[in-house]
Amino acid sequence: MAAEEFRHIGKPHPRTEDARLVTGRGKYIDDIVLPNALHACFVRSPHAHARISGIDAAQALSMPGVVAVYTGEDLAKWTARHRMAPAIDGLKPMEMDTLPIHKVRFQGDPVACVIATNRYLAEDAAEAVEVDWEVLPAVTSMTRAMLPGAPLVDDALRDNLVSHQHAVHGEPAAAMAAAHRVVVSTFSQHRQTHLPIETRGCIADWDAGRGHLNFHVGTQVPHPYRTTLAARLRLPESKVTVMSPDVGGGFGQKIALYREELTVAAASIQLGQPVRWREDRMENLMASSQAREDFCRTRVGVDAAGQVLALELEITEDFGAYSFYPGNYLARVVAMIITGPYRVAHYSYDVKVVLTNKVGNAPMRAPMSVTSWVMDGTLDAVARELGLDPMAVRRINMLRPEELPYTMATGEVLDDVTPIATMEAVLAAVDYPALRQRQQHARAQGRWLGIGLCNVVESTTYGSKFYKSAGIAGSGHEAAWVRIEPSGWVNAAVGLGASGQGYETSLANAVAEGLGVAPAKVRLHLGHTDIAPYGMGSRGARGGTAGGGTLYLCAQQARDVVLKIAAHTLGLADGVKLRMVESRVQQRGGEAWADTRLALEDIAHIAYLDPTALPPGVNPGLEFHLTYDPPPMTYSNACHACVVEVDGATGAVRIERYLAAEDCGTVLSPVVVEGQQHGAIAMGLSGALFEQVDYDEASGQNLSGTLADYLVATSLEIPHIELIAMHTPNSRTPAGIKGMAEGGVMGSIGALTNAVNDALAHLGVTVNQQPLTPMYLRKLMRDAQTHTQEAPQ
Amino acid sequence: MSFEKAITLTVNGSNLTFEAEPRKLLSDALRDDCHLTGTHVGCEHGVCGACTVLVDGRATRACLTYAVQMEGHEITTIEAVGKPGSLSVLQQALHECHGLQCGFCTPGIVMTFEAYLKENPDPSESQIREVLSGNLCRCTGYQNIVKAIALAASRMREAEHHGG
Repeated sequence: MAAEEFRHIGKPHPRTEDARLVTGRGKYIDDIVLPNALHACFVRSPHAHARISGIDAAQALSMPGVVAVYTGEDLAKWTARHRMAPAIDGLKPMEMDTLPIHKVRFQGDPVACVIATNRYLAEDAAEAVEVDWEVLPAVTSMTRAMLPGAPLVDDALRDNLVSHQHAVHGEPAAAMAAAHRVVVSTFSQHRQTHLPIETRGCIADWDAGRGHLNFHVGTQVPHPYRTTLAARLRLPESKVTVMSPDVGGGFGQKIALYREELTVAAASIQLGQPVRWREDRMENLMASSQAREDFCRTRVGVDAAGQVLALELEITEDFGAYSFYPGNYLARVVAMIITGPYRVAHYSYDVKVVLTNKVGNAPMRAPMSVTSWVMDGTLDAVARELGLDPMAVRRINMLRPEELPYTMATGEVLDDVTPIATMEAVLAAVDYPALRQRQQHARAQGRWLGIGLCNVVESTTYGSKFYKSAGIAGSGHEAAWVRIEPSGWVNAAVGLGASGQGYETSLANAVAEGLGVAPAKVRLHLGHTDIAPYGMGSRGARGGTAGGGTLYLCAQQARDVVLKIAAHTLGLADGVKLRMVESRVQQRGGEAWADTRLALEDIAHIAYLDPTALPPGVNPGLEFHLTYDPPPMTYSNACHACVVEVDGATGAVRIERYLAAEDCGTVLSPVVVEGQQHGAIAMGLSGALFEQVDYDEASGQNLSGTLADYLVATSLEIPHIELIAMHTPNSRTPAGIKGMAEGGVMGSIGALTNAVNDALAHLGVTVNQQPLTPMYLRKLMRDAQTHTQEAPQ
Repeated sequence: MSFEKAITLTVNGSNLTFEAEPRKLLSDALRDDCHLTGTHVGCEHGVCGACTVLVDGRATRACLTYAVQMEGHEITTIEAVGKPGSLSVLQQALHECHGLQCGFCTPGIVMTFEAYLKENPDPSESQIREVLSGNLCRCTGYQNIVKAIALAASRMREAEHHGG
């Protein structure tokens, strides 16, 4: 179906969520009141790496309001250990206790939990818990973690290399040997954290009479979360209900079951009373989850025109101390899709993932964030090395429409993407030749202007076949139900967990379209595991294709039955000449559609209250359920352009212009999509310019425990973002949806850094790490100047 | 033993008395004791701005203020600004411009600008961005919030013009 034929999909209605959120009537975890709830506070390690010689809670237990103090030994009796051991080549199995018993692995590691009648008293008592520490040397860099004799982060492993994969596709070595030039580039991302404005938190409410746990937690994946929670509590999955209310941002931080949450659940069961926990911002910065820190190195063999003949990629990722996800989970996808929109036949990769004494990693909005920067940055380096225009190098390597579908060297199939269209649109919009001229003039005046481009192919929706071929355990399917009530109002649910995206609006459009009702007739029910069907939740950018697509198909199934009943009622043989628009059944006569006497509520009345009037073979009621597994991989694509001026005296970066053209297929809600584009680009720019989790190298102390240290971009630093919508439908997904929400991070960190490089390259410096702080850029410029002055004349 | 004492706050025009320790933060007192959960707590160290309320009409961080210090002052929270179905001009503009996503930071932004726009009815974009820089938003990239505030300001000026 062509996009223009949609009646509701793609319409720019403002969000239905807003009324409650903008008036302070939303319900986040901390807004849920449970009588008699106790409060948990965790005792955390002051050391990056230390043995626990003893824990003395006597004084804490004597303090006002304190009900209990639990340690790792207690939790070991009540909960199962976590084992991360999918059968993946090169991945070492890892296990962890619910709370550490023998040693801690990062500063902030929780070792005991104080339960008290209010949060203030719990915090007081947590300070009084005495722990005897035997401090061990800490491993704070991934390079040193791999040295022989480095302290072991996980005593059960023989070294800190938790995951290592290597693959060769085609004949890169031979192609490299025949190349006109081999160019080597490096790329370093620094450690960052997700930083949802609502920190983590939960409420466990054990119903002793029914033997049932009601668990309130902000989660992106309600059902997989419940599966894990029930298993670790050794409870049947039917005796745990997970409820995710309004969530103040997730960005990947609210997927895994955290040790604190499991502890709170176990405490509620032990005490037979509700227990709640809200982490403070310092805990969120020092002990929740982190991401990004990696080092990439490319070697690319090219011909004289800059055409890529072979590519080698090395990635090392600093994974932190614990495995909440398989070690290969983040970095290997980068290696599998690195070539993006470019033609590369001969390719090899080597991916190492290393444990250190830092907070464990979790996928953070665009876990594959580095991908597009590495690829476009590599092509920029080729252009500099050969004295070519960087856009010419992109053009010569970019896949043409007639080359699609294109099987990447890794075997991934790229289809339904439009990279040339998005790149040329951006170059035209910025008037690229004129920009280059302006750059020359500015340079003559001692002003360093830079133009950066980054082409993005975003892997949005992972089908089960991709997981299987990547050796990752798990499914990519999603589940939905649609129920037309006797009154003709429509309830629907899907397994996604909302964290602020606007699902209640965008997904209502999908249901409305598939069924033939107004979106205002549709109410979405998300986040409650007893209500929503078992789906895989919100990860990556699967909400649109997997979530919206499943609901769309389910609503179509409902519509078919509604029309079958309508046909029978109208005395027609079948429903082929019927359709439903805005809850009215219409009949085709020639070219025109005319209203029948039937509305959806009439059909609903028959289905629920007069079932003997139903056609043969149609059962009473109007309830529908459907599961759907998307294609192995769905891609959207984009081109991001950034124009910067770097102050040569201070190293400050000013973004003069930011522009992106994106093709994410059929758009369920353009309002929501624009918001996601802004948000993803802002997160990328903020990360590349300012944010940094800073660990002291010697002690492993986290030096960025407040928002005065961990700097996030404000409204003064994020520029105005110009967007060009160029959406073409996907040929294989329901309604042609492609999905989006992470590509903005990939494109912005690449476009910004490429632009800064472009501004400074003539000074003989290469910007190959983030964040792009004034100190870093000035150091590069100073070093280059010293080097030039010292060189013989 | 208890360090709790009776504290009386004037919130949204009503007097509320409750028992709390002197160290209880205004943000916690509003949420726990006054049952007004629209004021959100994002950092508890005065940086993120999510907990912004009005004290005698001035935007104030409730997480940097003790409840006991606020006796005798007029406190206004998000609950007094508008309701679903009767949004304030600013709330309506935030809705129309998609100036919020997860909504956790939104009450703080609304309170900041309900106060600011009263005294600065015609701000430039850079002035809006300057004032907004005291409120962190992780979802929106700020662009649509800026747009909404400018729209609200122009509608308020328009209403003032016709009303006066």
